[in-house]
Amino acid sequence: MMATKRKVAKKLEPRKRKAGAPPSVQVAENTDDVRRLLKLLRNIGKPIGVRMAALQSLGAAAFSVANFESVNADYIAALRDVSTDSHEQLRRRALGILMRNKDGFAQKKLLNGLKDPAKALLPPEKALQLLGNDVHAEAYAAARAIVKKPPNKEAKREALRLLAADARSAPLFEKVLRDKKELRENRQLAASALHSLNPEKLQQQALKILKDKKDYSDIKATSLTALEQFGDDAALGKDKVLMQSVTRFGAAKAPAKYKQTARRFLSKYGR
Amino acid sequence: MVIFGNATRAVSEDDFAGLVDSLAADPVGSAQLSDLLREEHPVYSGRGAATVVRMRGWILLALARAGLSDQALIFVLEELDTGIDAYLVAAAARALRSYSKPNESFAPFVARALNQVRYHDEPVSFESYGEYATSSSGTSAVSELLATLAWLGPNARAILPQLERWRVEPGLPRKLRLDLDRVLQAISATAGGTPSCCGGLPKGGNVSIRTSTARREFESIDSIVMQDQDGKLLKFVDFFRGSPSIVVFFYTRCDNPLKCSLTVAKLARVQALLDAQGLATRIRTAAITYDPEFDRPERLRVYGKDRAVRMDEDHRILRAIEGNDALRAHFQLGVNFVESLVNRHRIELYILDAAGRVAVSFERLHWDEDQVVIRAVETLKKEQGG
Repeated sequence: MMATKRKVAKKLEPRKRKAGAPPSVQVAENTDDVRRLLKLLRNIGKPIGVRMAALQSLGAAAFSVANFESVNADYIAALRDVSTDSHEQLRRRALGILMRNKDGFAQKKLLNGLKDPAKALLPPEKALQLLGNDVHAEAYAAARAIVKKPPNKEAKREALRLLAADARSAPLFEKVLRDKKELRENRQLAASALHSLNPEKLQQQALKILKDKKDYSDIKATSLTALEQFGDDAALGKDKVLMQSVTRFGAAKAPAKYKQTARRFLSKYGR
Repeated sequence: MVIFGNATRAVSEDDFAGLVDSLAADPVGSAQLSDLLREEHPVYSGRGAATVVRMRGWILLALARAGLSDQALIFVLEELDTGIDAYLVAAAARALRSYSKPNESFAPFVARALNQVRYHDEPVSFESYGEYATSSSGTSAVSELLATLAWLGPNARAILPQLERWRVEPGLPRKLRLDLDRVLQAISATAGGTPSCCGGLPKGGNVSIRTSTARREFESIDSIVMQDQDGKLLKFVDFFRGSPSIVVFFYTRCDNPLKCSLTVAKLARVQALLDAQGLATRIRTAAITYDPEFDRPERLRVYGKDRAVRMDEDHRILRAIEGNDALRAHFQLGVNFVESLVNRHRIELYILDAAGRVAVSFERLHWDEDQVVIRAVETLKKEQGG
């Protein structure tokens, strides 16, 4: 029996590998293998590469091993344990798995980190991204604070992404969409969020953007698509200023795909 | 410490835990603990769903220490009936064991919870408020449910075949298999004995008949502006006056498949039953969202269509454009919010009379479609003086 155990344990240990290649841990075939992988994952004496490989194998085992539910509680406990590990990559992966399961422990840790950077287990942009897995997380206030005073541009982007599910953030997205100083990626994100949260407001802003001679081509193209696909055809067809603006946009120096968008729009209204 | 009114929002989680502990230690505190379990209690306002789970779990554990009262029993059964959070289910299972006597009517609730939670069991810690287990050496939701079944003993006889089937299936950890063996022994060893005769489900189960004295002022609700799944605007009075109606509440972002999604799917079944009796134009139905800011008409339409809900002049999916607070007050809805998003709600179905007043309500536990139709027909007959 002992010999069999040693044999299986050895099977789960990393194989000899070529220099530079990441360590690999064999795929778990049953719940006994899973338990051994869990031990490996928790073992801070093992090299981080081995523990990461164990975590990867556990992720696969959660789908492939029959009766995984019998070890699910052990799996959750181990993930919570290593989510505060000294190695950031391991924390990131463990918290990611937990947040996809809407785990309260992970959520609390991530929110605490956003409120108090000294307690942060992950950078704010990653924490926000993971919190976005659970619409019921209490993350909107923290996200708004980050939009107001972003520690970096990635954090602001992720905060906006998270707020795209918050009905009360529609006015914020209107502001971001109209702000020419804002990163264009964020403006595109704002257009998409507004379409979901308040499509009428997106239509209003899209009209203003198209009539604004100084706005950027990509933002105009997005606005044009929003109007073409979801706008009030009767009202748009009668808007002469809009048609002139779109004609001008189609004739201006702009990438071919934007000109094509303009042509398609004009042809829809017989121009 | 203030525990009622808006001041409760300012209570920190630690203070809340202290308050619950003091109520549990107080012989007359049990009623207040039950009151704290009402979803609409201001103490839950503005808190995230995970925080609400921690708070409610702590109350259930306090009830487990103080002894579960008849008044609080429905909250425990509700959690077992529709709960999907391992911590809350575990706490509810523990609380049920503190009820004065085991009863056979509890067994199906425990069995349902077991079926639901066993595929995503989690380690739980009851040591201190807000603590999460990082080791699986302690208890878990399944472990607590099995302990409750052992407590039920012969009263769980009705679910014995189900447990025996589960015993031979793979997927149960060794430790819990031993626990299950003890449960089977507890049920079978005394199988010749007599199960408890009294107590059990709260009187009336989940159904409450609201008499005229219990009816609230409803004039203010008439002017509430609502929008249906096709974007049509109408006032509350336009739809809910003139004939009786069946109303359920839901929201499209609910992540508990045993609540909103199932409720709306069951409403479709109610509609089919009404149609089969030729009552589809005499008894209206409506599903109203808790989340009107997010649940725009197109979302409502798709959500209803996906669940086979009939949508026409007499059957609509609605959101309140103006007066959502008046709507909450009129129905005394069991719901709370973090900003505009629901953080916790109960299952609730109402039968309104032809004046738009609540005549019958089905709350917390799963309702039976046939029962709802029977009650609605009774309401219709009353309106006709039958």
